[in-house]
Amino acid sequence: MAADYVSPIDERVAEPEPLAPAPASLRGSRAVLLDIRKNRGAEFLDRVETLLRAEGVATARVTKEIFSKPAALTVIHDIAARGGLVVEALAD
Amino acid sequence: MSHPSPVGAGRPAPELAVRGTDPGAVTIGELAAGGCALLLFVSEECPTSAMALRRLGSLCQDWEAAGLASAAVFEDPLEVAVRVARRRGWTGRVLSQEPPYPTSRAYGLVSVPTAVLVDRAGTIVGTVTGWDHPSLQALVQKAGALLGARLTDPPAAQPRQKPGCASKAALDPELAAAMSAPAGTDDIEEMFERGWTDGLPVVPPTPDRVEAMLAGADGSTSLGPVPPALGEATLARVAACAVLAGCRPAYFPVVVAAARAALDPAFNLRGQAVTTQPAGQLVVVNGPVREAIGLHSGIGALGPGFRANLTIGRALRLLVTLTGQGVPGKLDRATLGQMGKVGFCLAEDEEASPWPPLHAERGFRPDQSVVTVIGSDAPLSVSEHRSRTPEDLAHVLGWAAASAWSTNWWPLEEPQVFVICPEHAEMFRAAGWSKQRLRRFMFEAVRKPAAELRRGETTPFVHAADPAALVPKWASPEAIVLVVAGGEAGRFSAVLGPCSGMGYEIVSREVVPVGR
Repeated sequence: MAADYVSPIDERVAEPEPLAPAPASLRGSRAVLLDIRKNRGAEFLDRVETLLRAEGVATARVTKEIFSKPAALTVIHDIAARGGLVVEALAD
Repeated sequence: MSHPSPVGAGRPAPELAVRGTDPGAVTIGELAAGGCALLLFVSEECPTSAMALRRLGSLCQDWEAAGLASAAVFEDPLEVAVRVARRRGWTGRVLSQEPPYPTSRAYGLVSVPTAVLVDRAGTIVGTVTGWDHPSLQALVQKAGALLGARLTDPPAAQPRQKPGCASKAALDPELAAAMSAPAGTDDIEEMFERGWTDGLPVVPPTPDRVEAMLAGADGSTSLGPVPPALGEATLARVAACAVLAGCRPAYFPVVVAAARAALDPAFNLRGQAVTTQPAGQLVVVNGPVREAIGLHSGIGALGPGFRANLTIGRALRLLVTLTGQGVPGKLDRATLGQMGKVGFCLAEDEEASPWPPLHAERGFRPDQSVVTVIGSDAPLSVSEHRSRTPEDLAHVLGWAAASAWSTNWWPLEEPQVFVICPEHAEMFRAAGWSKQRLRRFMFEAVRKPAAELRRGETTPFVHAADPAALVPKWASPEAIVLVVAGGEAGRFSAVLGPCSGMGYEIVSREVVPVGR
């Protein structure tokens, strides 16, 4: 058996970043609702936004270019500047 | 054929006729000497056995410390047993029995997995067949009671119950012997162990083979990050994928050109690699390189039989799967997938075509060798032997695509490939139809009133349109991509499903010597 091979794998590929811990309370927080432009995602976010506001959460809406591509850096910076929480909508 | 029932509680445990990794006989008395023993009968091919090994495997060490020795008793050769136990995270002992599986027979096994608890005196305390969480939990608690210890329970994950597979001891002896033929421990199996595969055997990428593929090019040269996990496509890794796929070194410049094209951000390989739709990457090759390396564009062009076509397409897919970590079921979330995701490479039959070849349409000289990548679903064959006019033929071909992507999803924004067979192409040639005319005819012919498309999955365009307005299948004639390939006899063209929602562009790259 051959002792070694040329690997097709890049061993340096980073592990996914872990999610930040969920806040103990939503009241008084700022949430950005990210519409990824999936069909009817905006309707879903409308419902989420209503529920969040009822919990005392200030909301803002952000939209990215297309669901199948990562958000542009400007969108990510916009989210970071406007909120402490993010809700990303998947729909269809 | 009749079989005994599993040996029940209160009966003496039959002696073992097994082989372990340590020399010497393994006995029930020795196993249970610390307090009691859990025998888990399993086999390599059985998914429920795999689940049992995985779920119980990490508990063995704690159990052993408390006095419960656990042993997986495989109905497989020892080298297979050791490999499977390692892959499933089994930390207990590994035992193997050969045909005709005397230990399984002695215990009256009908299926695997079967767990048997034996006390210090060599008496069977209980037996559980298949994966049955409540029963296994009770069995472990019995062991705990015997030992006066609190043993960790099996995990209560779903499914909580799952039937097992037939024990080889319960099979016809000749069939069992045939099934037990060793899978082999050579370097082909080593590739499966490492996960360097698309599910088919691969050619191991030894340094010599990769060096031959590189043909002197610097292996550290980077073509950029490969989505979705963004592993870096060094030429050495691309060459490793080409070797794994079975490419000859002569194919490597085409593989590299395909990789360069697919890694262009405009192609949105990231979206294609992770989507739930069955997105493959079609590689179309044009120009003199086709003949130079034996790329096939004639009979059976979309099927099996031609090494260059099959391995070049496969090399690109292995790059996405391995270097990019777009592994099916992991980052690759395709609901069904399709065989084009194993690899899909087509050479255009420029010689049989009445039209400018694809690469010339895209701005290259006809004498250049060019690779073009297109996001694509599987082909749908279109039989059309009766048309006597180009209008009829174009009508049939166009309407074959009416259900592409989804029945009522009109118009399609993304490119859609039609592979026109030579006999169909000849009809258009004889009538003097250009590619532009064929595209325009199909674009005008394949239309439906918006009202008929308002059911299920449809587009905002359809919802916004007047109900009587005629909606075309494609957003523009340019969305229709025409290439010619196939055998000279038979009127079967094909339309390939599109790759929708990706916001991508078709990308072409010239085939040049690697490293230039």
